Amino acid sequence: MDAQQVIKEQVTGNPVVLYMKGTPQFPQCGFSATAVQILKACGVNQFYSVNVLENPEIRQGIKDYANWPTIPQLYIKGEFVGGCDIMREMFQAGELQQMLEGVAQA
Amino acid sequence: MVRPEDIQTYIQEGLPCDHIRIDGDGHHFEAVIVSAEFAGKSRVQRQQRVYQTIKDRLDSGEIHALSFKTFTPEEWEAQRG
Repeated sequence: MDAQQVIKEQVTGNPVVLYMKGTPQFPQCGFSATAVQILKACGVNQFYSVNVLENPEIRQGIKDYANWPTIPQLYIKGEFVGGCDIMREMFQAGELQQMLEGVAQA
Repeated sequence: MVRPEDIQTYIQEGLPCDHIRIDGDGHHFEAVIVSAEFAGKSRVQRQQRVYQTIKDRLDSGEIHALSFKTFTPEEWEAQRG
């Protein structure tokens, strides 16, 4: 299975997916750490995370998948939501909480 | 080391900006970008548009950490009050 197929299965098979550098417990980049904090602030403690530093094919593949050249990347119900800046803006506007409501437990 | 003014030039060369400001220490940068091209575009589309101008430099690692906010000229006026 190539990277694009793996990514498609990951984002459609899990309600909330975060592609990040490091793990939620030990993020290895400030933006990834912020993304995890924002999800937690939305009440999402359980989400599927992918450490791109451990998988170079996914690291490149995820940039192509959403035509988005940076990491972290958040997906909700298979849809690309954005990176750290967009997560922060949506959180401040209350939109991210709305999107996540009821999703994480699904 | 890449300087804020370098990033400003890269972005301006690829995107007509009404206003642009970039602060940074050589590693982490923060930008405010105001462009009429953002009108009618989603947050994702706006960032993709900015990323287009610096994609090669992101891929090469020359620019690692750039955080930015995007505004149309109207949004920028409203924001400044």
